[in-house]
Amino acid sequence: MESKKPPPSALVDNHVVPGDVILDLADMTNQTIKLGAGLRQDYDTIQATSAGRLRLSKPNKYWVESSQKRLPIHVIFFWQYIPSVEDTVLGIVVDTKPDNFLVDIKGPNFAFLPVLSFEGGTRRNIPKFEIGTLIYARVVKANSIMNPELSCMDASGKAAEFGQLKNGYMFDTSTGLSRMLLSSPTCPLLEALGKKLSFEIAVGLNGRVWVNAPSPSNVIVVSTAIIRSESYTQIQQKSMVENLLVKLS
Amino acid sequence: MDQRWRPTVNEREFIEQALQSDLRVDGRRPFDFRKLKIVFGREDGSAEVELGETRVMGYVTAQLVQPYKDRPSEGTLAIFTEFSPMADPAFEPGRPGEAAIELGRVIDRGLRESRAVDMESLCVVAGKHVWSLRVDLHILDNGGNLIDAANIAALAALSTFRRPECTVGGEDGQQVTVHDPEVRDPLPLTIHHLPIAVTFAYFGDGNIMVIDPTYKEEAVMGGRMTATINSNGDVCSIQKAGGEGVMSSVIMQCLRIASVKAADITSKIKSKVEDYTTTKALQKVKRTPALVPKKVHVPDVAMKESTGALENQASKTSNDVQQISKGDDDQQNMKRNLPLTGDRTVKHKQTSTCIGGPSNWDPYSKGVSLSSLRISQLPDPPATVKDNKQEDVELMLTESNPEVKSTSNSGAAGETDEAQESRTPKSLKDAVKPKHKRKKKQHGKS
Repeated sequence: MESKKPPPSALVDNHVVPGDVILDLADMTNQTIKLGAGLRQDYDTIQATSAGRLRLSKPNKYWVESSQKRLPIHVIFFWQYIPSVEDTVLGIVVDTKPDNFLVDIKGPNFAFLPVLSFEGGTRRNIPKFEIGTLIYARVVKANSIMNPELSCMDASGKAAEFGQLKNGYMFDTSTGLSRMLLSSPTCPLLEALGKKLSFEIAVGLNGRVWVNAPSPSNVIVVSTAIIRSESYTQIQQKSMVENLLVKLS
Repeated sequence: MDQRWRPTVNEREFIEQALQSDLRVDGRRPFDFRKLKIVFGREDGSAEVELGETRVMGYVTAQLVQPYKDRPSEGTLAIFTEFSPMADPAFEPGRPGEAAIELGRVIDRGLRESRAVDMESLCVVAGKHVWSLRVDLHILDNGGNLIDAANIAALAALSTFRRPECTVGGEDGQQVTVHDPEVRDPLPLTIHHLPIAVTFAYFGDGNIMVIDPTYKEEAVMGGRMTATINSNGDVCSIQKAGGEGVMSSVIMQCLRIASVKAADITSKIKSKVEDYTTTKALQKVKRTPALVPKKVHVPDVAMKESTGALENQASKTSNDVQQISKGDDDQQNMKRNLPLTGDRTVKHKQTSTCIGGPSNWDPYSKGVSLSSLRISQLPDPPATVKDNKQEDVELMLTESNPEVKSTSNSGAAGETDEAQESRTPKSLKDAVKPKHKRKKKQHGKS
């Protein structure tokens, strides 16, 4: 076991652009670091390959949180979301094939959702999804040459919240914002909202968020708060939510 | 692959459900416009409009063309739209789509058929030359309600557009001279009123309507109507293409709401345009007040220099005349001229360091250039030279007083047109051109 901790990169929580050197491996030996999205090893250095905010999850996980705009799917260089295994995503059914549902997950290609990948799924009980159905699913296969594959079961074969989402409202945000919403401990925005309002939320790492609440006005309040918090710090988020709730009551 | 944005079943249902209780997904009330932001470009006649997430850039250019046969004394106005696939994946590159044509037509109709832009003032020579205005509308981001945003962009760009001034002259009175914007201030267009497009979206059975729909609402709506209306409440055009049928009473209600919104937007555009023109005007005169006090400190030196310069000027002009009469390619004259010019440069350096005033007060800029002399020389050369000298003296005397200067300038309007013209352009040009460059040019000519 390593006794001393690796010094964190100076750029943590700062904005980085492609080409920025995040870490120099030459002066850190016998240490393991884990690289996430937007980073690449180039000989002895770790460089950023996308623009965004550098994040560090203690002790040694680095990634670049980037926010990308709603962009044409066919522009390959501007993918909004690059699927990776074990991501939870919100997809929209765009087509049904005998073996698969074709699902739009904002990636470079449509994802396949095999009709049998539901809890207790057999040929007999294929779910009927009309086009435009919103699905909460898990990425099980993701590589650069094949379409990604989704599943509506967890690793042990249980449904575990996956599947069709009914009612509620879905909106697009950036991938960075959706990561922030999923971060632990719970982000102050959701915590502050949750104290006053009751709502259900599903966040996909592909930058889609689904919100449901008993009354439409609550859904709108929550979704507006989330969309507005894009560039806010944690303290700003809290005060923004407080202001919003004061206005409502 | 169909790249259109597809609303999910959930969104469709929610948007309609929320509208039942007068709520919109972005937190607006049914008759609220999104936040409007107008930014003007560095050049005249370009504007970028942001309406919520929608962004449109408008750009106006003008060209002299032959008018249409049936309207020989009217300029033309054409709208061109550019829907880039970067704005929305649904826009295909190349051929304009249905939306692009509809948008162009609605804006074109609103502007042209209401005669918002005065076309007759764009005429230069009837039947020969008129200005043809081209309004380019680039959709930069589609956040819904492109028509309203593009219409505002077109209006903002047209209201800041300045066309170059031109005069008709020549032997047959048909030749058109287009003046450089630095020589003569370009002229704004005559815009009688601003026709504002206001778009309504209908949901359900046409009972629910909202103003300024977002792209999500546009994907869900049952029908749409665009009313183009100005701040006086005159309806310039109405566009209702397909979709759900709407009761006539609903349309009347829409028009009432639209006229209120149009007044709001008109005042917003007008105030923005006013801000822009004042900043532009301030940029032009900025140098003068900063430099006047400097001059006050050293009045003696300045006067001395200018009187010295005046003598120089006199000798120079007569010299030039001589030179011309002897012939252009006279080498001797060139040599005689050379020491003089050298002298002048030295003098100028002195003056510029101690006076520091705008260069159009500098005596040399008022000097007669060879080319203008050549023109004026033919009928009565001595008179012209004298004229110019007089002018110079007049200017020299008033030089230390910038306020008087302007009046004396206007007072001197009794002189020949040519002299006036040669003076005005040069004073402005010299403001940007270094002295020695100009001198070189003269050498080249002689």
